[in-house]
Amino acid sequence: MDAMLVLQLLLGGLQTGAIYALTAAGFALIFGTTRVFHVAHGATFTLAGYVFVFAWNAGWHPALGVLAAVAVAVLFGIGMERFVYRPIQRHEGSFFTVFVAAFGVSIVVQNLVGMVAGRGFANVDTTLSRAVEVLPEVFLAQVFWVAIGVAVVLFVALTAFLSRTHAGVALRALAQNPDLIRAYGLSSSRLSVLTFALGSALAAPAAILMAMTTGLNEAVGNHVMLLSMAATMVGGVGSLRGAAVAGVLLGVAESLVLLVLDTQWAEAASFLVLFGFILFRPTGLFGVVAAR
Amino acid sequence: MTAYLASLATLAAIFAILAVTLNFMVGYAGIFSVAHAVFFGLGAYAGAQVALHLVPDALAACAVAALIAGGLSLCLALPALRVRGEYFVAASLGLQMMALTLFSEAKGLTGGLGGLIGIPPPRLFGFAVGALPLSLAALALILLAIAAMARGSFGRTLQSIRDAESAAEALGKNVAVAKALAVAFACAGAGVAGALFALHMQFVNVESFTLEQSVLVMAMVIVGGTGTLLGPVVGAVLLLSLPAGLAFLPFIPPTEVGAVQQIIYGLAMTLLMIFRPAGLVGDLSRGRSEA
Repeated sequence: MDAMLVLQLLLGGLQTGAIYALTAAGFALIFGTTRVFHVAHGATFTLAGYVFVFAWNAGWHPALGVLAAVAVAVLFGIGMERFVYRPIQRHEGSFFTVFVAAFGVSIVVQNLVGMVAGRGFANVDTTLSRAVEVLPEVFLAQVFWVAIGVAVVLFVALTAFLSRTHAGVALRALAQNPDLIRAYGLSSSRLSVLTFALGSALAAPAAILMAMTTGLNEAVGNHVMLLSMAATMVGGVGSLRGAAVAGVLLGVAESLVLLVLDTQWAEAASFLVLFGFILFRPTGLFGVVAAR
Repeated sequence: MTAYLASLATLAAIFAILAVTLNFMVGYAGIFSVAHAVFFGLGAYAGAQVALHLVPDALAACAVAALIAGGLSLCLALPALRVRGEYFVAASLGLQMMALTLFSEAKGLTGGLGGLIGIPPPRLFGFAVGALPLSLAALALILLAIAAMARGSFGRTLQSIRDAESAAEALGKNVAVAKALAVAFACAGAGVAGALFALHMQFVNVESFTLEQSVLVMAMVIVGGTGTLLGPVVGAVLLLSLPAGLAFLPFIPPTEVGAVQQIIYGLAMTLLMIFRPAGLVGDLSRGRSEA
């Protein structure tokens, strides 16, 4: 087998994996902390990505575009928590009601984006995304290093926040025992807003990176949400490290599968992994919470 | 116009079969599958192949479709026995995505993206019959079967599993067998719907068996009311007449009709879950505790 081809696919997989890891960490943070199966996380991703593309095309400074994308992602996440999930949980807490409501919102967002921004691929073309030959037959764009760097920095920052700060510790406590949180005089509803804000913010850089690499379309959110969900489950619910590692692994697997199969099998390969894990190891790689 | 209405009514009956069988899993057994379109697809391809290469007999097509869909329902029953809640939804999502790839790639059996064309119209014992009476008859039979099961001991067992699995097990109910049978029955029903769909449309391709279709059927169940007998039928008729109604609104450009329709589906699902989680037909006080 051509070693250079393997290396090329591996690098591409790592780049996609970094994007999946960021969205998966957001999904896992929200699901692990508030137990909300946030299917509309994909919609957050789509919205943030398109806001950045619009800002870019309108000639805004890139930093301003990033800020706008993060702001939209955070507002959308908080809005979902306040206006969709909380009213449902107030009268009954069935996870499936939450799932269907969130799926409805993703359908609305996907079609609105399709109507407003047009269907088909949207991307931003920066000097960062021009690939150069770094080794014989191996092409790499600078955005690769940006993706890896952003993912590592944000993940380290998130871990530090959760273990070092007062609010972070409170979030972890909320994941373990929401009743006890109230007994200690902390507001569990404020903390879950914080969780949604943080988790959704993580989707923005991932969406921007995807706009700079493979490009976005209005349905991309669905794919990203399904992969984040798969990564959360494969990594083990309750473990952010698990979700991030599984996100990278799924990205790499999706890319390496091209060595033996055509591209249309890439997604199916990820879901085969997910299906296998749910059947044989529902607690995932680093799982701490029992599946039942 | 009459032909159009008859075709719409046939589709409504076929989707009503899908909705009532999914409701049997969701409402009675508490198995929240988002992979129902997979078994619809299996039935459609099986029925189409029977009609194309063996006999164009509706009964034979439906029987083979039910056997294949029911047999392969084991793919769904296995995770249903292992995990619950979000984990099962994730597993069924995974199954849906894998099956879609298989449907588009197994070109010998499914015709791939191009699909299977020229499926002969349905016949019964050698006589030509309309797809409408066939579908209505199948829907009526399945509704009767569900009503009988829901009242009988099997239905009670399923409901007890849905509400408290360990309690049902403690009372000596065989949870695994009951769940597997419920899944097999619902998937076989979806297979029958698929065979009827293939015979009615005389053409099937992978576009009818996507995740969106699974969610649409789920929306029919939920809009109508989970755990009720006729709610899903109402939901199916409502959600299918929606695009037909939208086509008559002059101010929506024709290219956007699909998107507007999807937005209305999505909004309806979200708003119903927030304000009326038991569905239109469902009893509100009952739905609050278990929907």
